[in-house]
Amino acid sequence: MTDIVCNQVEKKFRNKKALNKLSCSIEGEKIIGLIGRNGAGKSTWLKLLAGHLKPTDGEIHIFGENPFNNLKIATNLILIEDSMTFPPFFNLGELFDMASDFYPDWQGDLAIRLLEYANIPLKSFHHNLSKGQVSTFNLIYGLAARCAITLLDEPMNGMDEGIRTDMYRAILKEYIAYPRTMIISSHHLPEIEHLLEEILLIDDGEVVLHVPLEDVNQMLVRLKGDVNEIKEITDYQDVLFEKQDAVSYEAIIERNKINTNYQNQTNVQMQPVSASEVCKLLTHKQKGGIDDVFKS
Amino acid sequence: MSISNNSTIPIYIQIAEWIENEILANRIQDDGKVFSQYQLAEMFNINPATAGKGLTILLENGILYKKRGLGMFVQEGAKELILAKRRDEKLSKLAKEIVQEAKRLFVSDEELLDLIKKVQKEE
Repeated sequence: MTDIVCNQVEKKFRNKKALNKLSCSIEGEKIIGLIGRNGAGKSTWLKLLAGHLKPTDGEIHIFGENPFNNLKIATNLILIEDSMTFPPFFNLGELFDMASDFYPDWQGDLAIRLLEYANIPLKSFHHNLSKGQVSTFNLIYGLAARCAITLLDEPMNGMDEGIRTDMYRAILKEYIAYPRTMIISSHHLPEIEHLLEEILLIDDGEVVLHVPLEDVNQMLVRLKGDVNEIKEITDYQDVLFEKQDAVSYEAIIERNKINTNYQNQTNVQMQPVSASEVCKLLTHKQKGGIDDVFKS
Repeated sequence: MSISNNSTIPIYIQIAEWIENEILANRIQDDGKVFSQYQLAEMFNINPATAGKGLTILLENGILYKKRGLGMFVQEGAKELILAKRRDEKLSKLAKEIVQEAKRLFVSDEELLDLIKKVQKEE
């Protein structure tokens, strides 16, 4: 059964389009990386999936149902984000107790142990926590809820290096213990890459790419060497990136666009392009880099 | 060993090579049980699906075999298979480098073959 289906989903805020006819479907218990530049529409999409917002147009189905104003979806799906609010009259321990009433698979012991590990007292109040502590608490809350669909929007915001690494490990261990659909958004792919099975790349409110992580690593290739030879190998097609300096020429192109009939012995070097570079290139409008802005 | 994110080798291939090394070092014997994809995921801090892909490669290469519901085991003669494969890969890579360098230095095919024969005799 397909867990999440989006069909031509559009979301407008006043006149600005945040999502533009976004379609995708997600099946099975996987950890998916939601990647995109600032303002690409990542958070808006997650809020729509969670039913916190209503689409302007198009359809969203989660377990076959519309998530907006839907109690069944609310108990089986959790969205963790920076702006989460909790009732201010209760301390963290009490918030955990309340969660156990709402989420059927709530892991109370685990939540308390993780909070202790992070050195956050159970008696503290959510609004008194530091930025990093808020993120840590929210993520612990999200993991302990053990919802079939767990959406984590930039979960590590503000956490220091040490707790960050520990929390990534906690995500993985919880996933192994209880596989679920996890969507983790980040603009720093290398940090979460090892956890992911698939990548969903969003730009300008549309899905640019939704493929297994390994495919992304194989998608592009960097060619370095003589400019004329490279033009031959690439069949004079458009490249995604090119750079010319005094000694060498460099171009990045889709692996499947390479002219395999090119037989001449060549000194052109072929190098792999990392997944994070691929995402950057596919969502970048200009062929040049920041250097070109400063050229006069 | 640790699995490197920055390496140009995909993680699932690093996993496959790590298991091969364990077999070569006799830490897993013929018909011995190999780590499951979940154990590997825990050990190397990676997605279980990625670990699973590493195991699948070894299954396809005949290095491991599957017992339903029990897991994956080392095929008899796996060690020889791994050694043969690595010899192939390493040697053909070196051969390619030699040929390329010879071309750069304008060494003819005959000269190159003579050179290899000479080195063989000296060994």
